[in-house]
Amino acid sequence: MFGLPWHIVLPTLLGSLLVGAVCSAVGTLVVRMNLSSLGFAMSHAAFAGAALGLMISLVDPMWTAIAFALATAAVLGPVADASRLHVDTIVGATFPLTMALGLIFIHKTPSSGVGSGALSLLWGSVLGVTMSQVLVLAVVAGLLAIILVLYGKEFFALLLDRKMATASGIDARKAFYILLFLVAIVVAVSLRVTGGLLIYALMILPASAAFQWAYDIKKVLIVAPLLGIASATLGFLLSLGADLPIGASIALACSAIFLGSILLSPKKRRGRRLKSF
Amino acid sequence: MDDPIVSLIDVRAVYEGERHATLNGLSLSVAQGEQVAITGPNGAGKTTILEVINGLLPITSGSVRVLGQPVTSGSHRLRSEIAYVPQNLFFDPETPFIVRDVVLAARFGKIGRWRLPGARDRDIVQAALIAVGISAWAGRPVGRLSGGQQRKVLLARALAQEARLLLLDEPTANLDPNAKEEVAELVGQVRAELAATSIVVSHESGPLMTASDRVVDIDAGRIVSTRAGTAGRVPVAS
Repeated sequence: MFGLPWHIVLPTLLGSLLVGAVCSAVGTLVVRMNLSSLGFAMSHAAFAGAALGLMISLVDPMWTAIAFALATAAVLGPVADASRLHVDTIVGATFPLTMALGLIFIHKTPSSGVGSGALSLLWGSVLGVTMSQVLVLAVVAGLLAIILVLYGKEFFALLLDRKMATASGIDARKAFYILLFLVAIVVAVSLRVTGGLLIYALMILPASAAFQWAYDIKKVLIVAPLLGIASATLGFLLSLGADLPIGASIALACSAIFLGSILLSPKKRRGRRLKSF
Repeated sequence: MDDPIVSLIDVRAVYEGERHATLNGLSLSVAQGEQVAITGPNGAGKTTILEVINGLLPITSGSVRVLGQPVTSGSHRLRSEIAYVPQNLFFDPETPFIVRDVVLAARFGKIGRWRLPGARDRDIVQAALIAVGISAWAGRPVGRLSGGQQRKVLLARALAQEARLLLLDEPTANLDPNAKEEVAELVGQVRAELAATSIVVSHESGPLMTASDRVVDIDAGRIVSTRAGTAGRVPVAS
């Protein structure tokens, strides 16, 4: 494909498809809860962790990325609760910290700033994905699907209205914390494909586009991963065909799908309300 | 005599950031099956009473017990036995939930962790939709319904939850006169159908107030008077 052998192209293609599916599925929950900045914060935390892994060169940067993202998830919810601030505010406070750490780790990495490993953490890499990483992504995708089914009703109630969920007997706080950890893991394992700076696009844009096509959250949860897969595939082809960074190519594809969804949304053709009471 | 379903003893509650207590040593006991109406001016603490009963607002002193158990912010299982229809909850037009699912979500606390809703839950939801007269809207997006229609959805949730205690906060507020009358009638029907203990809060006099066993007037976070409603099945507590 595009002059590259399949054994090199295939892992990245599979990785892109899985990343497109998992990021968009989790992104649906994030977008509905108006926590778009959460994806942004997690991607930078994972980036900082991966940069640390690159600097110490002892473990696969993916594992340090996961550790950093999970630590951020563990801090965000309780700190937001303890400070009585909206989680968005806490997210805003963690972003400069994780970004600064990431840049310091890269600066301290041998041949820092110009090494392909460091750059691939920022932009993603067409050739940087291995089959073992695809396997990790597949396991995460499977676990995510299981959690979304088994814990789905708690998330469902949380997305409808947090206060009503609590009032009807749902532990909304726990559901929210689990959501934070899901976002952390998904972002961290996706980092290698799309890069830390643009994974945010894959989490937010296909999900936002899916909300343009349906009023039923169950349908949105099906449409969003499909749009995520479509974005990842288009971005992958664009990256190979035009020799562009894959993260940027996927972000362009996400943006195109989002804009197209807004322009073609069937919601625009419907009335604001059904028949009056 | 049976233990009360709801027991508030000398309860004091303060909203975060406020200097003055919204409830000031309030005590209230509600018996099994009793229909209580709470009325009073704006800011009297009516909504606060409902919020401390289901643990949404922590108290600063006193004691709150529901169904014999102390209420805390972690009383999730207990809350599944309390149906709460909040004041002024309106779904915005883009809310991505259909009516059937909004009603089904009221049962999630009862179903328990790691379990999925089953056929029985769906049957109960369907029965609630029919009872409230909204089964034709089951597949419609809830945010596209009018305020009165959305209030009916919330009442269907209360029915579907099969709760032992029903808390209704200003169920007819901000509705036009026709919708107000229809919702008030429906509230009476839901209270009768559930045969549960219920507490309804309203700052207006009307059928919701009078069709209760007891009407409690509150002001500045304290009970100022108690009188019998027209239902009058339970003697007025002294």
